Amino acid sequence: MLNPYMHMKRFTSILTLLLVALIVPLVTVHAQDAREIIKKADEKMQGEETSQSIMTMTIVRPTWQREITFKNWTKGRENSLVLVTAPAKEKGQTFLKRDIEMWNWNPTINRLIKLPPSMMSQGWMGSDFSNDDLLKESSIVVDYTHNIIEEEEIDGWDCYKIELIPLEDAAVVWGKIIKWISKEEFLQMKSEFFDEDDYLIKTELAYDIKTMGGRLIPSRFELIPEEDEGHKTMVVMDEIIFNQPIPDSFFSQQNMKRVR
Amino acid sequence: MKDYLKLAWRNIWRNKRRTLITIASVFFAMWLSLIMRSMQVGSYGHMADGIVEAFTGFMQVHKDGFWNDQTLDNTFAYNSDMVRGIESDDNVKAVIPRLESFALASTGELTKGILVVGIDPVKELDLTHPDRKIKEGRYFNQSSTGVLVSGRLAEFLNLELNDTLTLLSTGYHGASAAGIYPVEGIVEMPNPELDRRLVFMPLPVAQEFYGADNMLTSLVINVHDSDDLKNTKKNIQELIESGFYEIMDWKEMNPELVQQIQSDQAGGYIMLGVLYMIVGFGVLGTLIMMTTERRREFGVMVAVGMQKKKLGLILMIEMLMMGLVGAASGIIGSLPVIGYLVHNPIRFTGEYAEIFESYGFEPIMPARFEGFYFAGQTAIVMIIFILAIIPPIYSVLRLKEIKALRS
Repeated sequence: MLNPYMHMKRFTSILTLLLVALIVPLVTVHAQDAREIIKKADEKMQGEETSQSIMTMTIVRPTWQREITFKNWTKGRENSLVLVTAPAKEKGQTFLKRDIEMWNWNPTINRLIKLPPSMMSQGWMGSDFSNDDLLKESSIVVDYTHNIIEEEEIDGWDCYKIELIPLEDAAVVWGKIIKWISKEEFLQMKSEFFDEDDYLIKTELAYDIKTMGGRLIPSRFELIPEEDEGHKTMVVMDEIIFNQPIPDSFFSQQNMKRVR
Repeated sequence: MKDYLKLAWRNIWRNKRRTLITIASVFFAMWLSLIMRSMQVGSYGHMADGIVEAFTGFMQVHKDGFWNDQTLDNTFAYNSDMVRGIESDDNVKAVIPRLESFALASTGELTKGILVVGIDPVKELDLTHPDRKIKEGRYFNQSSTGVLVSGRLAEFLNLELNDTLTLLSTGYHGASAAGIYPVEGIVEMPNPELDRRLVFMPLPVAQEFYGADNMLTSLVINVHDSDDLKNTKKNIQELIESGFYEIMDWKEMNPELVQQIQSDQAGGYIMLGVLYMIVGFGVLGTLIMMTTERRREFGVMVAVGMQKKKLGLILMIEMLMMGLVGAASGIIGSLPVIGYLVHNPIRFTGEYAEIFESYGFEPIMPARFEGFYFAGQTAIVMIIFILAIIPPIYSVLRLKEIKALRS
């Protein structure tokens, strides 16, 4: 016997199927889009292959201020080498990052020191960038899920506001990160870092967008910790060159002692 | 009155043995309590000295807030006007500048967290006398650029004279502090805890290491008379800019030590209390025995017509005389013993010594002379004696002649 409502039923189920078929990809595309955006933004600053730069970092505290100048080489996401060139007391120190390990060479005492996990939460050279931050910054693509939650304007640039939630088993200290990435040029205009209890711990802002190394990128960054009044760290990019070939052997302990 | 005294005195010596026993009991009470007290007072003084004269000094001036947050960012610049002002106080013996901070010390494979003490090579001599503590090598001279390492630390790091010591730390305003220094001498710190972790540096060398040019963590103040500390502290407080500097005395800087001394003192008092009880009863027993022995004699005297009151008075004088002789001889007898212990303190060895050392004290039990406790002990023993007199005198006053004559 034919069911008089059969056509109706069939029609509804096809409609539902169609709707699902349309929306799911949209949502996934959205998430994929977010991941792509983050990836592009990351590559813009780091270079797709390598980068070499000279930067000046200013540590600002309520009663004093200090400037450190250094050269920075990166290759891919795993390798980076930093050579401190000023002030005189710090000059000659080098830091090597390989994968998840970090090393420090101090020429005054002729010692190579491996940074232990206990030092990871401390500021690099006394700044507001923790050793952990510098080590793990490259994992924002891999260790998180990404979602566009809004669109906002920062400093005259239209941005995607993207929420990054760490994956279950990712070895990451943040509970959540929110990044504002400009729709054009994929500039990381602003980032907010939250701990596991959703408290804002620090904010990073980008300024002075200009062409450097053949790309339009911010040349000044400010990292402002939320809790400490009058504390911040500024980094100014003096020079940067992208994707010039650097051999793997450059990122070695021997080279730490030789690099100039 | 003179007759009574004569009578009493003759009475006493009629029975030499009995008298001597009574005197002896008072003598021992006095002698033992004085010696014990001298050793207790000596221990506390020793503990305090161990910290004060060896390291913290009697008072220190810091940047305000330094004590609670002992970082290099809480240092202050040397201010010669302020120092001169403090030095002008009568009770101030010396004002000694210091820069102290944490560092990692390393030789090859071994590393240890230690305290770097930047000292003025000349001024420090007046405080902790580091020159007298040199075990090997020599003390700093005007142009020294090396370090003095404390004994147990040098042992741990396998350091010998002229070896190189590597130091690593965080400096002023977050700068890196790193340097290598030759070992110019090895010092022996009596306090074992300090002996394990000190590295002395000439002040300018320490300031350069930490990138803290002309900065100090403290001005250590040495005084002539430590009893007048409170007043001196107040005077100095008025000289220094309040809100910018803080001044603390050694008791504030070592509250655990003060509490340790206090709890020890409480224990000491209990011990003395027990001693007094034992001795008190001993004396009481002797006196009762004496009175009971002479019952017949008293009975006769009362029967013949002596007033009990007068009898009681004579007996009291007899007992007081014995007491005084006992007390005086106890005091005199204790003097040589205490004198000996002051100069030759009992030195502990073995496990007991280790317990001392684990608390950070030299394992000796010294004694001290201090006027006030002599007077105090004498007074207490005399009071106990007078209390012990009461029961026997009372029994004499209530004497029943018939019964007495029959005893």
